[in-house]
Amino acid sequence: MKVAIFSTCVVDLLFPNVGQAMVEVLERFGCETALPTDQICCGQPTYNSGYRKESNKVFYNEIDALLSANADYIVGPAGSCVAMLREYPHILKDDPEYSQKAQELADKSYEFSQFLYNVLGVIDAGAQLDATATYHRSCHMTRLLGEKTAPFKLLEQVKDLKMVPLPHLENCCGFGGTFSVKEPEISKQMVDEKVDSVISTGAKILISADASCLMNIGGRFSRRNESIKIMHIAEVLNHNVDTSRIRYKDQPTTV
Amino acid sequence: MTNQNKETFLDRIATKSGRARHQLSKHPFIPVNDLPETTLSGKSQDELFEIAKKNSEAVHVTFERTDTTSLASLLNSFLSKKDIQNLILPTTDKWSTYGLSEWEKERSDSAEFWLPESSRKENLEKANSADGAIGFADYLLAESGTITVATTPGQGRGFHFLPTHYLSIIPKSCILSRSRQAMHKYEDAISSGKLVTSNINFITGPSNSGDIEMVLVVGVHGPLDMTYVVVEDL
Amino acid sequence: MTISTSDKPFLTRVKESENDHFMQQSVAKAQDAQWDKRTAAREELGNWEQWRDLGEQIRQHVIKYLPDYLEQFSDNVTKKGGHVFFAQTDEEAANYIKEIAKKKNAHKIVKSKSMVTTEIDLDKVLLSLPDTSLMETDLAEFILQEDDWDEPTHIVFPTLHKNRNQIQKVFKKLGYSGTNDPEEMAKFARKYLREYFMQADLGITGCNFAIADSGLINLVTNEGNADLTMAIPETQIVVMGMERIVPSLKEAEVLDNMLCRSAVGQKLTSYCSFSGKQVVGESDGPSDFYVVILDNGRSNALGTDFEPVLQCIRCGACLNVCPIYRHIGGHGYGSIYPGPIGAVLSPVLDGYEKFGDLPFASSLCAACTETCPVKIPLHNLLIKHREVMMDKLKMDHSFNNVLMKGAGVATSSPILFKMALEGDHLGSAPLSKSKKTTVDNLFNYGHIEKAPSLGAGWTNVRDLARPPKHSENFRSWYKKHKKEQQEGVSHD
Ligand code: SF4
Repeated sequence: MKVAIFSTCVVDLLFPNVGQAMVEVLERFGCETALPTDQICCGQPTYNSGYRKESNKVFYNEIDALLSANADYIVGPAGSCVAMLREYPHILKDDPEYSQKAQELADKSYEFSQFLYNVLGVIDAGAQLDATATYHRSCHMTRLLGEKTAPFKLLEQVKDLKMVPLPHLENCCGFGGTFSVKEPEISKQMVDEKVDSVISTGAKILISADASCLMNIGGRFSRRNESIKIMHIAEVLNHNVDTSRIRYKDQPTTV
Repeated sequence: MTNQNKETFLDRIATKSGRARHQLSKHPFIPVNDLPETTLSGKSQDELFEIAKKNSEAVHVTFERTDTTSLASLLNSFLSKKDIQNLILPTTDKWSTYGLSEWEKERSDSAEFWLPESSRKENLEKANSADGAIGFADYLLAESGTITVATTPGQGRGFHFLPTHYLSIIPKSCILSRSRQAMHKYEDAISSGKLVTSNINFITGPSNSGDIEMVLVVGVHGPLDMTYVVVEDL
Repeated sequence: MTISTSDKPFLTRVKESENDHFMQQSVAKAQDAQWDKRTAAREELGNWEQWRDLGEQIRQHVIKYLPDYLEQFSDNVTKKGGHVFFAQTDEEAANYIKEIAKKKNAHKIVKSKSMVTTEIDLDKVLLSLPDTSLMETDLAEFILQEDDWDEPTHIVFPTLHKNRNQIQKVFKKLGYSGTNDPEEMAKFARKYLREYFMQADLGITGCNFAIADSGLINLVTNEGNADLTMAIPETQIVVMGMERIVPSLKEAEVLDNMLCRSAVGQKLTSYCSFSGKQVVGESDGPSDFYVVILDNGRSNALGTDFEPVLQCIRCGACLNVCPIYRHIGGHGYGSIYPGPIGAVLSPVLDGYEKFGDLPFASSLCAACTETCPVKIPLHNLLIKHREVMMDKLKMDHSFNNVLMKGAGVATSSPILFKMALEGDHLGSAPLSKSKKTTVDNLFNYGHIEKAPSLGAGWTNVRDLARPPKHSENFRSWYKKHKKEQQEGVSHD
């Protein structure tokens, strides 16, 4: 099965470790990967700022780039960015040239953990991580992409990993793309509450499926001189993997 | 002039919306689903009674069951328990149906009645100085613990809101599952001319407020407490 | 008068809210409590998503045929001897009501909670009449009135920002000598207001839903003040936004169920009433019945992308889930309609000049869209507002005081790429800090504490990860990785 990597601008620019972990996990599960080099960004920052027409260029580019790989699936390490790809058919529904391509793209695009759990049917990725951690649920992954279970199910199975529920799981971390830059006064109060919630769990690691939220929450931890380790879910699922532990949904547990 | 005012207004908003007026007869409202009808449907009267009891108690209602033979004594114990001095009662021909003709007659000296022939002021003053009201409800909604009453000349609007303690009598056969079923009944009664009213109240427990620090306070403008009495043999 | 509650700039209001710790705490507490209650009430009903479909359908349908339903409603009110006045502006509405008050020689006016009358500033207008007093009878509105007409901070819980001691102080001015116990204070208000009620000659109410096929109005409350307002005075004036209409009692009943669950987590509130002009034989209830149907900017939404905002049933659920509202509270928005619905509605009613900041004050987390019982795509409408403003900005360069700030990110190339170009690994060297960070595995290539231009908004609050060297970025790694794979294959 061929998978095009939708790397996302944040990972491209800042977090090679996230992209790397995702590719290694996907390949471990038999995916043949490709990284379309013309991709830049899903266009969310400009689109959400109100630059509707200008964003078209970005959308077109992203659609052409990601479809050019001719892959069966397109997988990205960020629920929010994937949700944006899924929005394309709505935004471009009247676009004579791109409406269909947008649909094609949306139909085969998945967020990483969602792809692993729902498409590949993985339950246990074989990873091990001896730590106490908590998980931040991104708003767009949960509400726009509608993915509420996959990351939790996959993390549950990581050997030696103790997951502590995060209070106020439902609240936004205050990232919101350009919101964090344009409304720092409000964003700060939101991310502070999120940092406090994470601290209250006593977790040593904060995990999420959205690198942008992690960048925001982690950035505030650092500014407040509070300790935490940040891990993208791909890094967790790629940690200390013992392939003999890998389990799929339709596979009974071996005792 | 008012007509002109209406026409101008409606024409203007129609133009703004880009849609012509007078399209409704061709496009009546047809609901996408029948959840209002099917939710909590198919329950027996006994089941509805249990559901109504649970949900009424959940909204701080004292829920009693009785039959026509014991209703009078239940009312008396309500009056003494709440220490009611100034009782108000409705003018209605329902008393005999409930086996309360005697009981009502006994009260005719001590209690006040909401009288069709009295003025607004007289009836409202009576209700305002009453520390207790005993009235009849049309229906009890099981899902929400709600009694419903249509205003009548003998049981006006203020009757339900001004007195301090309130007791409502409902026949068991008049427990309905939800508000939808009550609406059907009212719509039928109104369109057949059986019911002429200006007002239908759905009352769910005593008056309350969370306006001060979200602390629930029971009894703000309306009655401080509510008692529902379901009469099992009616 | 407008829906505006403050002349202060948005940022000032945000700052003030940030310093109001009591307000922030009570909003957070209220949000958390309502979250549980609302969720439980909806779950108990079952099939919530399908109920939302139905709620949305009812509201979309009436908005689509709004002139027809308003006509039907108006004709039915008139048939029963009531009067209907259609007001295009707040001023028309307020003047009409003032004239009735004069004509009826009203001295004591009782009002039950109504956002629309706040919108048209009715209280002030009526109080300008000689020999006229007026009483807000909803407990919260009463407190606001007696506190020198303080502004509401929530559409369902107007006094969320006030604590019991503040309320006790307000009541002391009225002769209250009790403790700060909410129950005791409520009893005092009951007695105080009851006396006034019994003398009232004019009642003014809002309207949750007007019932087109019967000419009745539906009001939903917990306290019972609306019902007293509709029972005692001889004259009643109903003021309603023109969109608050339903075909029949059946749809009113559906929406009441959804409204109560969404607003306060109750199956039904204590009082849901369906009420009109007194009929022959009845002794209380209004013998004179007026309905004022108000546009006041609502029609700006008709036929545009913003039409769904008229679906709103004012349940306040979107406020109760909003992380922005959680922190800046109602006063932060500067509109009597705060929260997500306020951020969408206020610019529709009163323009971008005054409320252009609000659509940007959102992280687009979509919690509002997810909770809205009538499925208004609130976060999408916020994006739409941004779009409209950006277009306008381009058309009119003088319109820039508020908006140019928003346009700081005006660019057709993605912002993060731009940030990166300004601060790639080499370029960011002078910015980066050697100070050890407390955060592990986020700043593997260093971090930046003070970024220039676009990045400043970010680094004012949090550290920014420094980009890796080109040779160490993801794409370079991937190229190497692929090459190794291929070599691995060819060596076999
Ligand atoms: S927009 Fe939706 S959630 Fe918000 S107040 Fe209106 S109906 Fe309620």
